[in-house]
Amino acid sequence: MKKYRIGYAAWLLLTLCLCFFENNTGTRVVLLCSLLVPMIPPLRSAFFSPDEPERKAVPEPPAQKSFISRESEDPGDIRAYLPGDPVKRIHWKLSAKKDDLLVRETAAEPEEAEEEAGQDSGAENSKMKAGKIAAAVFAAGILLCLILLLAIPEARLGAQALCNRLFAASEAVNTYVYRRFPVPDEQNILPAAFLLAAALVLLSALAVSVRSRLAVFGIAAAYMVFLAYFGLALPAWIHIPLCGLAALRMMKRPYNRKALKVFCGFVLAVSILTALALPGTDAATETASEKVRDYLNDALQKITGTIPEAPEGETETRRIHPRSMENGNREAETEKEFRLVTVEEEPVSMPHWVNWVRMILMFAAAVALIVFPFLPFMWLNARRKKVHEIRKSFSAGTPGEAVQIVFRRVIAWLEASGYGSGNLLYRNWTDRLPDSFPEGYTERFARCAADFEEAAYSGHEMPEEKRRDALALLAETEAALWKDAGLKQRFYLKYWMCLRE
Amino acid sequence: MRQQLERVLRETEKVIAGKREVTGKILMALLAGGHVLLDDVPGVGKTTLAVALSRAVGLSFRRVQFTPDVLPSDLTGFSMYDKTSGEFIYRPGALNATNLLLGDEINRASSKTQSALLEAMEERQVTVDGKTYPMETPFLVIATENSVGAAGTQILPFAQMDRFLVRLSLGYPDYNAQMRMLRDRQGSNPMDDVQCVLSREELVRMQCEVRSVTARDAILDYIIRLTDASREHEAVEVGISPRGALFIDRMAKAKAYLEGRDYVTGSDVQAVFGDVCAHRVLLKDGAAGISVGQVLNELLRKTENPDRRGILQGMRAK
Repeated sequence: MKKYRIGYAAWLLLTLCLCFFENNTGTRVVLLCSLLVPMIPPLRSAFFSPDEPERKAVPEPPAQKSFISRESEDPGDIRAYLPGDPVKRIHWKLSAKKDDLLVRETAAEPEEAEEEAGQDSGAENSKMKAGKIAAAVFAAGILLCLILLLAIPEARLGAQALCNRLFAASEAVNTYVYRRFPVPDEQNILPAAFLLAAALVLLSALAVSVRSRLAVFGIAAAYMVFLAYFGLALPAWIHIPLCGLAALRMMKRPYNRKALKVFCGFVLAVSILTALALPGTDAATETASEKVRDYLNDALQKITGTIPEAPEGETETRRIHPRSMENGNREAETEKEFRLVTVEEEPVSMPHWVNWVRMILMFAAAVALIVFPFLPFMWLNARRKKVHEIRKSFSAGTPGEAVQIVFRRVIAWLEASGYGSGNLLYRNWTDRLPDSFPEGYTERFARCAADFEEAAYSGHEMPEEKRRDALALLAETEAALWKDAGLKQRFYLKYWMCLRE
Repeated sequence: MRQQLERVLRETEKVIAGKREVTGKILMALLAGGHVLLDDVPGVGKTTLAVALSRAVGLSFRRVQFTPDVLPSDLTGFSMYDKTSGEFIYRPGALNATNLLLGDEINRASSKTQSALLEAMEERQVTVDGKTYPMETPFLVIATENSVGAAGTQILPFAQMDRFLVRLSLGYPDYNAQMRMLRDRQGSNPMDDVQCVLSREELVRMQCEVRSVTARDAILDYIIRLTDASREHEAVEVGISPRGALFIDRMAKAKAYLEGRDYVTGSDVQAVFGDVCAHRVLLKDGAAGISVGQVLNELLRKTENPDRRGILQGMRAK
């Protein structure tokens, strides 16, 4: 059973609210599309926690404990390696001795320790299970509320009426005039209010039950209230990174810090693209995107030879909100014409096939833009998962299997650093190893290559020391290659080999 | 390397210096139970080597100089009418009771004699007048083919060449080896110093052990890929036969055994590949400027070795 992350709930809430607030159709489509983002399989892990084994304390006999405390500076701060732990913190010496990957925990991460303590205290199985079920129920409740809110006409109208009221309230302080929803004046807002309140209550319950990051939830809610009250409609491209940041904060812990760094770099590129492709309400952006669209339209006309129909000069009267008149100039009351503002209706026609193509292109662009910022996470997650799998197999299985896997890892490192020797047999690689490697490395490599051949091609049982030998060689290789690597190479090693954090 | 075999090599080195590698290969062929084709100019020590080897291992040795009028019955033996008993008595030929047979200039023999020898090599038995006589074990034929003065010779057919396990070449010794050779032969014949360090029974036991050397699927897969690639090579008319693949396997096992391992590695296959396959590949007429050796090296270079193959397969499994 997947555990719900509060991030998903926050994501849903943010997106649905923004849909109501946005007056630009394109942006709305984009935002609605973003609802699908957590469903994309590689991204799921960012929103739902994967089926990871429960963290458990390492059962250690007392004799071992005294031994460990002699070895490390911080007694008792050693625990079993779990997927997601930085490799840097692996206590290699102890791991080699105990034949199990052990991780050194320093006091540098109080947040982590706190969370673990929280998880450990509730470690009883039944309790955990009940918590999970409750979380799922709450999350389903929220979803149901939101779906009802959109599905029942009465509720939807009520929600729109609620929005109108909000707009009215915010127009007092905002110069931006909303195109409001066409709602009957006496629309009952109770069903919508009830559903929203229920969703909020469920959301809080969910947040409490999964003991997740309440702070982010609070910030997101405060941000929504802030926007609603002041009637600020920031362009969509600001919201997308904000949503991303909120979700990021709630992602799995070991990943988020690194992911944050990568994310910030991408936001810049995304914002520029978004600003050009999706006209927001920002004036400068609007004009810029207008230009681009004009240019594209011209180009399209040149290609297709169709000229868009001229809009019929239809006019429409529109009411200015009474409150703005109260607060604004009094003359408006006296002058009747001022009260009627004529607005030119935008041309509305049946979508031509060109428009369909345009819509599809827009849709594709929107989806791409939403997925784009998550690509680095998908990539990192996939890499990390793979590397953790490989790391896990170092200690699993027989020593013979381990020797093979570890030695292949050594080879992968050498190849990644450009010291590979192609299709040569591994035992012959020794001739081409660089001189910069430490003294005696070549001999150790040759010995491990022989071990590898024995493990791979004979039916012999391998002794446990061979595994340790291979692990030692791997550690040495990593150290040597990392030392030699330049900046670019280090970047590559860091993100492709996923070691050295 | 196995100590006993090491000692054998040391004994042979007493008489033929600097040819340890080829001697080792002949020993490997002996262990693998195959036959050797020596491709050489006269006088580089083929007979000396064979004699020394037979002495060191305690094998009975015979040498047949092939000429056009050597008959099959000279090799296989024949039945002769005995007046006193009134019966036909079988007179054994050169092949009987021989462990190590040096067939000099096999291409000079008539084709019926050649085929009689090759049949005996393959079947390890001779049949004369409906009676079958098994050969001695071990049985190793070292046949030589002189490349000079080839006029009036019967070129060994390609199909028969395929029956030899390896084709080797001694080549001229270098300066130091020649110096040593001349110096050693000043007063005495070093052949007298060669001692028997390995009994025939031990050799037979070793042959059994060679057969039980492990060759994992990864290695067999490598051999098959190599032979398949040789058949698909653009410059090759006839590639390595399935028998060739079988021989690579056997020779690689012997090589592993000689080095004291009981499993075959990719390097064993690579080491024996050239010797086992050089006489099995026939190049196209149009392929000028390429030698068989170059083609084989190219195959080794381009065919993914089993070490690397494992990586990819591991990835695919994931």
